Amino acid sequence: MSERITPAMVTSATLNDLNASLGSLTRTTDELSSGKKILEPSDNPYGASQVIDLQSQLEGLSSYESNAQDGISWENTASTAMSSMGQAAQRVRELLVQGANGTYNQSDLETMALQVEQLTESVKQDANTEYAGQYLFSGTATTTAPYEQGAEDEYQGNSESVSRAVGPGATVTVTTNISTLLGNGEASKDGKLLDTLRTIAKNLRAGTVEAREALGTTDLQNLDGNLETLTQLQATAGSATDQLQTALSRNEDLQGSISQALSNTDDTNVAAVSVEYANEQAAYEAALRAAASIVQESLLNFLQ
Amino acid sequence: MTIPSLQGLQTALSGLIAEQTALDTAGNNIANANTEGYSRETALLEPNPPLTIPAISSQTGRGAQLGTGVSVTTITRIRNTYLDAQYRTQNSALSAASAQSEVLEQAQAAFNEPSSAGIASQLSNFWTAWNNLAVSPTSEAAKEAVVAAGQQLVTVFKQLSSQLTTIATQAGEQYNALTGPSGEVEDYANQIAQLNGQIKLSEEAGQPPNEMLDRRDELLDKLSSLANITVTEASDHMDTVSFGEAAKPLVEGTKVNWPQTLTETAGGRLGALLALTGPGGALTSLQTGLDTVAETLATTVNEHLTTPFFSGETAATLAVAVKASEVQASGTKAVGGNEVARAIAALRGGTAEQGYAALVEKVGSDVRAAGDEQTNLQTTVTAISDQRESVSGVSLDEEMTNLITYQRGYQASARTLTAMSEMLETLIEHTGVVGL
Repeated sequence: MSERITPAMVTSATLNDLNASLGSLTRTTDELSSGKKILEPSDNPYGASQVIDLQSQLEGLSSYESNAQDGISWENTASTAMSSMGQAAQRVRELLVQGANGTYNQSDLETMALQVEQLTESVKQDANTEYAGQYLFSGTATTTAPYEQGAEDEYQGNSESVSRAVGPGATVTVTTNISTLLGNGEASKDGKLLDTLRTIAKNLRAGTVEAREALGTTDLQNLDGNLETLTQLQATAGSATDQLQTALSRNEDLQGSISQALSNTDDTNVAAVSVEYANEQAAYEAALRAAASIVQESLLNFLQ
Repeated sequence: MTIPSLQGLQTALSGLIAEQTALDTAGNNIANANTEGYSRETALLEPNPPLTIPAISSQTGRGAQLGTGVSVTTITRIRNTYLDAQYRTQNSALSAASAQSEVLEQAQAAFNEPSSAGIASQLSNFWTAWNNLAVSPTSEAAKEAVVAAGQQLVTVFKQLSSQLTTIATQAGEQYNALTGPSGEVEDYANQIAQLNGQIKLSEEAGQPPNEMLDRRDELLDKLSSLANITVTEASDHMDTVSFGEAAKPLVEGTKVNWPQTLTETAGGRLGALLALTGPGGALTSLQTGLDTVAETLATTVNEHLTTPFFSGETAATLAVAVKASEVQASGTKAVGGNEVARAIAALRGGTAEQGYAALVEKVGSDVRAAGDEQTNLQTTVTAISDQRESVSGVSLDEEMTNLITYQRGYQASARTLTAMSEMLETLIEHTGVVGL
C-alpha cells in the first residue's frame, strides 16, 4: 500500500471490522438460540416459501390422519352394529327352523312370534346406532334416525354417502346403505330383512298349513338371502377399514419424510453452527484485542 | 558591486517567518486531526526573487545571483476533486440502497413469516377448520370454528395490507419532509449558495477560503446522499450544483432553485423513496400481490358455495360474509353431507397458498437484493472514503515530523540571525572609533 495512512483510517477500519465481526456473531447466536436457519424470508427466500409449503402439507397430513382415525372408529361402530343385526337374524333363523318342523303347538309358535318381533325391534335399534351424534345408517341425513321404533318400518334416511378425505385427492366412503339390507318393511313387500322378519312373525301366528309351509320354504329362503346381503355389507365395511388403515400408515411415512424435509430446510445444524460460533467469537476477541493496542501508538510516544 | 550589509538579516528574518507559518499550519492540522470534513493544509514556500550581483569576481568579471530568503505564497488545502466526485456518485447509490433496504425490511417484518401468526399459518388453520367440519358436518361448533378461522384469516390479511400502506405512507412523508420547506435539500442548498458568495469574496480579498471550501464539500457530500449531484466548478468559485436530474440546477452561484419536481431517476434516498412507492415499485407490487392472493382465496372458496363465504376483492376489503348457521358443508339439503367442506379443505396448498408463498419469496429476495447491494456499495464507499482520507486526512506522525522539521528550520534561521548580528558587531565595535 503506497498511500498515506492516517489514524482516522485505522480507527474507522477497525470499527468497521468490529461491527462486521459482531454482526455475524449476533446472527449465529440468533440461529443457535432460535434453532431456526430461516428467521426471516431474506435469509433464504426460496427456503422460506418452502417452509410455508411444507408446514401446510404437514398440517394437511395431520388432518388426513385424524380423518382416517375418525373413519376407522365410524366403521368399527358400524361393524359392531351389523354383527349384532347378524346375531339377531341368526336367532330368528333358529326359531324359523324350529317353527317349520311341525312339532310345536300354536302357543309355542305365538311365543316364537313374540321373540321374532323383539328381535326385529333390536335389529332396528342396531340400525339406529349413532357415532359422535350422527346416525351411521341414514346416509347423509345424519340427524334423522333411519328407522322409527314400533310398527312403522319405512327407511327414513337417504341413499347418499358420506366420505372421509384421507389424502390429497383420496377419499374413502364410510357410510353403509342399510336400506339395501333392511328395506321398508312388510307393506313394501320388498323381500328385505324387515319385510322377511315381519312375514315370519305373521306366519308363525297364522296357524294355517300354508303359513307353516311358507316358514320352511320362502321365509327361510328370504332370510338366507338377507343374511347373504348382510355379509356383503360387512365385507364392504371391512374393506373400507382396510383402506383407512393403509391411508393411515402411508400418511405416517409421508409425515416422517416431510418433517425431515422441513427440518433440513429450516432447522439449525447445531454442530456446524456451534463450531462457526466458536470461530466467530475467537475472531471478535482478536479484533477487540487488536483495536485496543494498535490505536494507542503514535510517533508522540517516542519523541522526547 | 557589493552586497547590502543588512541583507543577511532580512534573509534570516524571512526564514523565521516562513518556518513559523509552516509550524502554525502543522499546529492547525494537529488541532483539526479529528474534525469532520477537514482537509489537511500545507504552507507553500517559495524562494524570494534573487539579488543580481553584476560582477562578484574581479578575476572573471562574472556576475551572480544571491538568494534573498523565502516567503509563504499561500496556505493550500490538499484535496482531490476527482475522488470527491467519485465519492458523491457512490454515496448517492449507497444511500438509495440503504433507503430501499430499510423500507423493504419493514415490509418483510410486517409479513411476519415464518411464524405461527402470519397469513400462512392462519390459512392452514382455515383449511383445518373446514376439514373438521367435513368430519362433523352437523356440528355447530365446527361451523363456528370455520367462521372464527375465517375471521382470523381476514384480520391478518387486513393487518398486513394496512401495514404495507402505512410503510408506503411513511416513505412518502419522509420524502416530503426532506424536500419540503426548510427540509434538508433546501437547507443544504441555501448554505452552499451562501458559501459560494463568501468564498468568492474571500478569494477577492486574497484570503485562502480553505475552511469554507471544506464546509462546502461536506455539504455537497450530505446532499449527495439525498440524490445524484453534479458539481460544475466555476473559476470564480460560483459553482453550479445539479441535483437529482431536476430541470434546473439546484444551486447556481448564490441562487437556489427549489422546490423542483423529482422523478424515480433522481437517485439517492429521494429517488429510492419515489421508486419504492411509485407504480411498479417494490412496495406497490407487494400490495398488489397481496390483493391477488386475497382475491384468489375468496374466489376459490366461494366457487364451491351457493352462499359466498368471503366478500371483498382486496386484502383490505376481504371479509367473512356469512354467519356460522349459514356455513354449508354440503350442496344438497342433507345435513350430514360433507362434499363441499371436503372440497374447500382440499384447497390447502392450492393457488391462494402458492401465491402467498411466492409473495413471501419475493419480499425475501427483494430485501436480500437490497441488502447485498447496500453491502457492496458500502465497501466501495469505504474504499473511496479511505482514498480521500489518505489524501486529505491528517496524519499525526507526519505532522509531528513536520513540527520537528520546521522547528529545526526556525532554530537554524535564528542561528543565522545571530551570526549576522555578531558579524555586524565586529564591524561596528572593533574597527576603531570614528571622529575622536
